[in-house]
Order: sequence, then structure tokens, then C-alpha cells
Amino acid sequence: MIFIGEKINGTRSKVKEAVINRNIDYIQSLAISQSEAGADFLDINAGTDPDRETEDLIWLIEKVQAVTDTPICIDSSTPSAIKEALKVTRVTPMINSINGDQKRLEEFLPFIKERNCSVIALCLDESMSGMPKSIDDRMHVLENIFLATRAAGIEDSKVYIDPLIMSAATDQKAGIIAFDCIRTIRGKYPQAHITGGLSNISYGLPDRSLINRTFLTLAIAAGMDSAVVNPTDTDLIQSLFATELLLGKDKFCRRYTTASKNAFKKK
Amino acid sequence: MSSIAQMISNLEDENVVAEVQKQLDSGVNPLDIFKECQAGMVEVGNKFSCGEYFVSDLMMAGAIFKEVGDLITPYLKGQGGASAGKVVVGTVFGDIHDIGKDLVVAMLSAANFEVIDVGVDAKPEAFINALKENPDATVLGLSCLLTTCYDSLKETIDAVTEAGLREKVKIMIGGGPVDQGVVEYSGADRFGRDAQDAVTVCKELMGS
Repeated sequence: MIFIGEKINGTRSKVKEAVINRNIDYIQSLAISQSEAGADFLDINAGTDPDRETEDLIWLIEKVQAVTDTPICIDSSTPSAIKEALKVTRVTPMINSINGDQKRLEEFLPFIKERNCSVIALCLDESMSGMPKSIDDRMHVLENIFLATRAAGIEDSKVYIDPLIMSAATDQKAGIIAFDCIRTIRGKYPQAHITGGLSNISYGLPDRSLINRTFLTLAIAAGMDSAVVNPTDTDLIQSLFATELLLGKDKFCRRYTTASKNAFKKK
Repeated sequence: MSSIAQMISNLEDENVVAEVQKQLDSGVNPLDIFKECQAGMVEVGNKFSCGEYFVSDLMMAGAIFKEVGDLITPYLKGQGGASAGKVVVGTVFGDIHDIGKDLVVAMLSAANFEVIDVGVDAKPEAFINALKENPDATVLGLSCLLTTCYDSLKETIDAVTEAGLREKVKIMIGGGPVDQGVVEYSGADRFGRDAQDAVTVCKELMGS
């Protein structure tokens, strides 16, 4: 299971404040705690106004890299900002994100290929109106994306598909749609990764962590192999180890028993 | 609180529908029934505000309110009660989120506002046309859930100003990440934290 740590995101008010006030300690503490919890990538989103985004993104990456070797996931919709950020990343980063929009694909794929980056691909097309409603809508968008990534010479295994998980509070079928969608994607693109933010599913409901980790269990069973999460959530890590054990992915249950001795502090 | 209002506030969907139908059949003034429903919705909003109810409960209340509204409407035949005012609502262009906007529409309707819904991914012209077609609308509600669409908010509000309509409408904005900073950036008047807050803000804007 590949965890992408979600906490360094400037759309969260505390992080935005830290970016603007250049609060190095706060940012570095988020980087260290997520890395120690076993994050495979650290998402970095400056979340600031376009005129200062590049500068803030570079500042964040440099401060994070000063305390951890965990690869960065550059989270931006501005190609020029990502290109500048790519110059300072020490380890090959992940890019967050592309979607079915042709213009975005044309702008993003060349540098993704050149730097051999992984990339998150959202199952929506920004240039079209409307969220994808059905699984077919999502699969149609994916066809266009894979046509473009394969033509650019990017291996399927570099692509992390985000099926777009919706809120169960506003649509009771959100969970079942997500699981069906994950199964369909897994069948059609066996080499690709399937990821996504877990927190949408529990929006507007109490005890969100319980819903998130139960969703994770069912999603892994359906074929999800990555998630954008708060990796320091030990309840989530606990569920993850138990799930992998129950799915026969943990030889002699060693990973589970070892993690248990360590109080599930690390994935 | 009367039985219908109580049932709505307790989200007893089947009981509400049965009771409304029973009262309609026995000749109770449909307007009075409708007011009961609205009182129930206000209570639902209060329960949401204090944390007793969740987003899923608001969705359910919205569905109940729509169902009883559909039952009552044929009986009303023009004897509509005095509207609390007219509001134009929509999600700005580049943003396709409908759920938050729909909840705001439901809660405003329940609070007796007449709501003109221009939909999602709505271009500035859509809002301006709606405002021109409804010169008595005094509040414009703009929904925006994407941080990348703050410029859409700003452009929409600028377009309202250019159309010479800014003086006659107050503008409230809302959506996940929207805060006072976005109000200032976009040139809006106020922001609402959730669907219930939208009703409070709308009332205040109309009162001012």
C-alpha cells in the first residue's frame, strides 16, 4: 500500500499561515511525522495565489527535503510552477495531477516523461462541464488519458488513477460506486496504481476516521493499492495491516505481528 | 411545535407524508400545512447548527421537504404566502459542485425565500440574465468549492458590477474553502459557512 501524506497542503488554514509566515518548524514537523509514520510520498501543495505559488512551492520543498528523503508529490495545476519545483527535487517526484483535459495532458506529459515521474490521474475532464456521474463516464476519461500517456511513452505503472470518491452523506451509493469503479479499473489497467483521497467519503458525518478506515479496507479488497491520507493516523494503519493479513498478502502474518509490537505507529 | 413540524424535525419521512396527505384530505388550509413544514425545517437547521444533525440528515430533510412540497403545491392554487424575498443562486463557472448549492436552495426555499437556481458551472451572463429577469431579487448567492475558482467568483461579481446591477443586490458566497479573505478578494458582501448559515446571512443581507 502506497501512502501519499496529505498534510502539507496550503488549502488548510494552519499550513497556509505557516507558508506565509515562513514557519519552518511547523512545516518540518509535518514532514518528519508523516515520514516516520511510513508515508511513501509527501504531497506538497502551496495553495497560495498564482503570483507567489512557485516561490512558496520551492520554499516548501527545500525545507521538507532538509529533514527527510521521502519523495515529494508536487501538487499544483500550474505547469510553470511544477517545472521550477522539479529543478529542486532531489528524488524523482510524483506529480498531482493530470485529468482528461487535452490541454493539461499536452502541457504536463512532456516533463513527466522526461523526469520519469509518477503521476496522479483524476477520472474527470476539466474542460467538460459536470462531475463524472457513472463508472462509464470515468472509464471513458481514462481511455483518453491512457491513450495520451502511452503515446508519450509513460508506463502504466507510473500512473496513479484517482477514481474520484464522493461523499456518502450526500449520495448513499458513493461507497458502492467507488468499489465497483475500482474493480473495473483494476481489470482494465492491471499495471496502473489506484489511489484517492479517503476523506471525501466521510464528509459531513460524525466519527469520520472510522468511515475512512473501513472504506480503505473495502477499497483494498476491490483493488486499490494507494491512498492520499494522514499517515500518522494509527487507527488507519491498524486497519491496513489487518486488511492485508486477511487478504492473504502477509506471509505468516509477520508484518501484522511486527507492526502490532510497534503499536502500529508505522505503516 | 405541532405534529407535522415535530415529525419533520425528527425526520420521520413516512409519517410526515401520511400526515400531510391526511390533513390535505380533511380540508386543512394547505398554506398552514406548508408553514408547519417550514417550521420543521427551521428546527432541522437548528439541530444541524448545534451538531446534533449531520449533512446526511440535511439531505434527508431536503428530500422530505421536496416530497411534501410536491403534495401541497396542487392545493395551493395561487394562494401563496408572502415570500421572504427573492434570491438568485448558482455555482460559478469552472466549478461543477452541486450538492452544497442544492442544500442552500433547499434551506432557503424552506425559509420561504423564492429561489432562482441557475445551476452549476454558470457563466456570469447566466447570473446577470437571471437578475435582469427577476428585478425584485435582492440577494445573489454564489457557490464555489474549488480554490482555483476564486477568480471565477471575482469575474462574476465584476460582471454584475459592469452590468450596473451591483447596487441593487447584496452578494453572499459559500463553499468549502470560502472565508472572509475570499469575500475581500472577490468583492462579495458576506460568506456563509453552511446551508443553514446561508439562510441567516441572507436574512441579514435583506434586512440591511
